[in-house]
Amino acid sequence: MANELIGPGATLLSSVASDEDASAKQWRRLLWFPLALSASLLILPQLTFVTMSFHRDIGMGQVSVDFTIANYTQILTDVFYLRAIWETTYLSACATFCAVILAFPTAYWLASIEGPLAMLLLTLILASALITVPIKLMGLDIILGPSGIVNRAFEALSIISSPVPLLNNDIGVLIGLIQYTVPILVLMLFAVVQTIPRYLEEAAHIHGASNAAAFFQVIVPMAKQGILGACVLSFNMCMGAFTSPLILGGGRVLTLPVLIQQKIIDDSDYGLGAALSTVLVCFVLLMNVAVGAYVMREVRRRAKRPHRG
Amino acid sequence: MPLRTTTVIGILTILFLVSPFVVVAGASLDTGNAFQIRFPPHGLSLARYAELQPRYFYAFRTSLVLGVSTATLATAIGLMAALGAMRGRLIAAETLLSFFRMPLQIPFVVTGAVYLQFYYQLVATTGFNPMSSLLGLLLAHLFIVLPYTVSAIAAVVPRTNISLEEAAETLGATKWTTFWRVTFPMLRPALLAGAFYAFIISFGDVPVSLFLVTPANMTLPVQIFQDMRFDFQPSILAVSTLVSIISMVLIVGIQKLTGLDMVLPPNQRPN
Repeated sequence: MANELIGPGATLLSSVASDEDASAKQWRRLLWFPLALSASLLILPQLTFVTMSFHRDIGMGQVSVDFTIANYTQILTDVFYLRAIWETTYLSACATFCAVILAFPTAYWLASIEGPLAMLLLTLILASALITVPIKLMGLDIILGPSGIVNRAFEALSIISSPVPLLNNDIGVLIGLIQYTVPILVLMLFAVVQTIPRYLEEAAHIHGASNAAAFFQVIVPMAKQGILGACVLSFNMCMGAFTSPLILGGGRVLTLPVLIQQKIIDDSDYGLGAALSTVLVCFVLLMNVAVGAYVMREVRRRAKRPHRG
Repeated sequence: MPLRTTTVIGILTILFLVSPFVVVAGASLDTGNAFQIRFPPHGLSLARYAELQPRYFYAFRTSLVLGVSTATLATAIGLMAALGAMRGRLIAAETLLSFFRMPLQIPFVVTGAVYLQFYYQLVATTGFNPMSSLLGLLLAHLFIVLPYTVSAIAAVVPRTNISLEEAAETLGATKWTTFWRVTFPMLRPALLAGAFYAFIISFGDVPVSLFLVTPANMTLPVQIFQDMRFDFQPSILAVSTLVSIISMVLIVGIQKLTGLDMVLPPNQRPN
């Protein structure tokens, strides 16, 4: 026991403190196993993988022994891969923009209705976020197809005369990505909107603000941080999305995750696949660091500004 | 009351989110000839449920075993990590937790590729092949779900009242009795929520598992995914509807057990 280490003159206070130290020490012992496991699950596989990206593929799933950066120079000089990086970024940015435009008003609406209806709708959104993706894609495939509901509705309304291709192109992938991130963004932004005190909006109304003015000048600025977080999250999810681009792009929309899977499973080109993966992870991390730096600068700038009474 | 724009967007968004499931379920009830998909269905029948191939049952069993083992292990490990980090009075507890969240920075498809590659190396150097059993999938799934269980439990540990545990020990309870009778019940909702997330992510995963499945260890989502691409038969609609119903029951069940607050996702989500 820790108590025995303390001399006879120890005060009651220090003996309590050492008791707490001993118990904290015991709790800390629990950490060893999870830490060791997480570290080995993270570091060992990643290390072999990144090492792989510095070796040339010599066919049959083998890589040569000599160190080379050829895989990286190929990715960064070949127009095909640069286009894929651009395509992934562009689609992710568009999807993020649309997803936030849909998700924030939805979260705001759900926060304002409360009661069993809100619970029911949140449950539906949660289900949409958690039910396995292929089922969603199957549904979207039926809805967006040439004889799907969307095309038939547009034709019935005489907006179009022949079916518009909504699948196997960027539009299909975009819809898939939005469908993928919106439910998670609604849940995340719902938590944000809930923390905004209702009376702020009421005060704006009393001072004569319209609904729109109160929404854009009170609610949106209050939720700015949360919205930015949602954008980053959505962007990251889209950059890594694999199933939607593959199914709804029909093999014609080549984003980085689709190419990674093709290189590794179809072509067994592990070196290039590993290099593409590394490029993707680093690219996303850099984007996040850039956003983080921007936020930090904003916070600091605001802190410098003199306080208004 | 005038209809507000936010309300209209909200209703349309929820319709948009729910529509794929409604369409799949509706089309699964169609009578029609075997290879045509029609929504709305022209007639109602359960024919597509009668022609379910046995491979879906095998895949379902694999996914279930995998999901339950992943959830159990991840919850136990998450509990250890959360208690150690939050109760150990560490200065760097937050940094430690963000270490456990690191897998969230890696896209799923990359994790799949990384583990496939790692297992090949393992076979080449030691002769041991984790992919010959469920272990291969289990390790990769543990990797992707641990951030969820750790975060879900760590968020609740500081809210528990440690003096209740001290009281139990003062009154003569052993460490184990205190843990099972005092600590564990206080953390139960968090543990359930963590296990639920681990299960549903493992059970529904495609991008990681796609790299690691073998004909003997085929998971249900990957089976559905592959059949959708290469061998489309209307019975997939029936399987998908059943999976949606099972997931929905699980989601509602866990909400009843722990409350909606616990089930809303932690703010960090995967790619």
